[in-house]
Amino acid sequence: MSLRPPPPVLPGFEHVKRAWNNSLESYAARILPGEYYVTRNDEGISTTLGSCISACIRDRNLGIGGMNHFMLPAILSAEPDEWKATGLSSATRYGNYAMEHLINGIMRNGGRRENLEVKIFGGGRIMEKMTDIGLRNISFVRSYLKDEGLQVTSEDVGDVFPRMIVYFPLSGRVKVKRLRSLHNNTIADQEKRYLDSVGEKPVSGEVELF
Amino acid sequence: MKLSASDLAKDIGGLITLPDVYLRINRLIDDPNSSASDIAEAVSRDPSFTIRLLRVANSALYRFPSSVDTVARAVSIIGTSQIRNLALSMSVASSFSGLPNNLVSMANFWRHSLFCALIARSLARQAGRCDRDALFTAGLLHDIGELVIFNRLPKQAQESLMLVLDSQDDLPIYEAERQIIGFDHSTVGGELARQWNLPPLLEECIAHHHDIGNATRHPREVAVVHLGNILALMAEIDTLELDDVAPIDPLAWELTGLSKDCIEPTVREAQAEIIEVERLFATAS
Repeated sequence: MSLRPPPPVLPGFEHVKRAWNNSLESYAARILPGEYYVTRNDEGISTTLGSCISACIRDRNLGIGGMNHFMLPAILSAEPDEWKATGLSSATRYGNYAMEHLINGIMRNGGRRENLEVKIFGGGRIMEKMTDIGLRNISFVRSYLKDEGLQVTSEDVGDVFPRMIVYFPLSGRVKVKRLRSLHNNTIADQEKRYLDSVGEKPVSGEVELF
Repeated sequence: MKLSASDLAKDIGGLITLPDVYLRINRLIDDPNSSASDIAEAVSRDPSFTIRLLRVANSALYRFPSSVDTVARAVSIIGTSQIRNLALSMSVASSFSGLPNNLVSMANFWRHSLFCALIARSLARQAGRCDRDALFTAGLLHDIGELVIFNRLPKQAQESLMLVLDSQDDLPIYEAERQIIGFDHSTVGGELARQWNLPPLLEECIAHHHDIGNATRHPREVAVVHLGNILALMAEIDTLELDDVAPIDPLAWELTGLSKDCIEPTVREAQAEIIEVERLFATAS
């Protein structure tokens, strides 16, 4: 057990659960689907991903950065590019919100846009019988980053495994671990609960989703 | 009142039963007056089992030089005690289909079990002085306690899985189960094996694959299943890095005389065989 207290938390992230991790020898904040977390300190941010995406973004000079966790809601077709046809409709707003909140959170805390370094993870196909919603999420985040002029420096996306990731914004280091299929349903349930909860919110206006 | 692992195993006794063909073969093998032809006859009484047995006998698992086309020939070349192991291996998936759950798909559960079976069998051959077919069965059955827990205690099972994820996959699942339920799937599986009067080797492999130091009668076989379980995880998530999976108890290398050099070829071999073996064993027919 660590004797030192966790590093200070930035305003707005007090609700995120943080715990000491022995093998990482660090505190890690664990975010759930729909959440994001930004830090200026030496700590990890972790999450588990099924078909969801996490973007890990930081100011590479200042070490201020964070991670989000999101997915696009289910729509009729499973075509990876279908979300484009629906434009800026309800299909993409969760993704746009998640990306904007993370980037704004980093800039609000001193990060500079021209220094941003981006890594993306997730989008696995963990439920064999379902359409490949992971692929659609990957396609969305790539396109979003391209439109914003942000380059992806590292990624581990797609395939059939759930992933556990831990990101250290101070150094930019990411630990990615594939998880055994024993965890598939637990992770898929968590993602489904997130989609159900955002699906209940009204579609228009300046709604705070996360 | 707190539930014990043995209560839990007793509780499901009426829901799943070992198939008649296994019980018949079992009785005959324990009967000194029975012959190989009695066993062949017992097998023949179950036509669906007969067809599947011949399919297994002719599969890459055995690589017999000529085709095995009668039950009598299958019994004579595979051997009567191995037929008993096979009867158990071939029926366990359908027996446990009576214990459904929402936490893991049966396909994923049996894929891990079959990986462990194939790898334990291969490691038994490499280590020598081990019954390969018994270790195949032990590998296939090693996690059956998990299906009992998932079916009978779904809420606590889910909490245990969440605890593992909350720990960044640092806490092993059996440790999470001990914290939340008070015992883990290996103890439940061991209790079930005892109630079913399975051979002591199987019982001990199931009960101690996470704590091999506590195996007393068959430590070498238990160590093979311990290694089989971890190499099966590597085969499943397609990695050759030991850091990506649960740690191997160093005692396992000592007990088996095997070394880390065996990991890569054994994992690769199992990955090449899994699809055929899934067709032979994991069907709930």
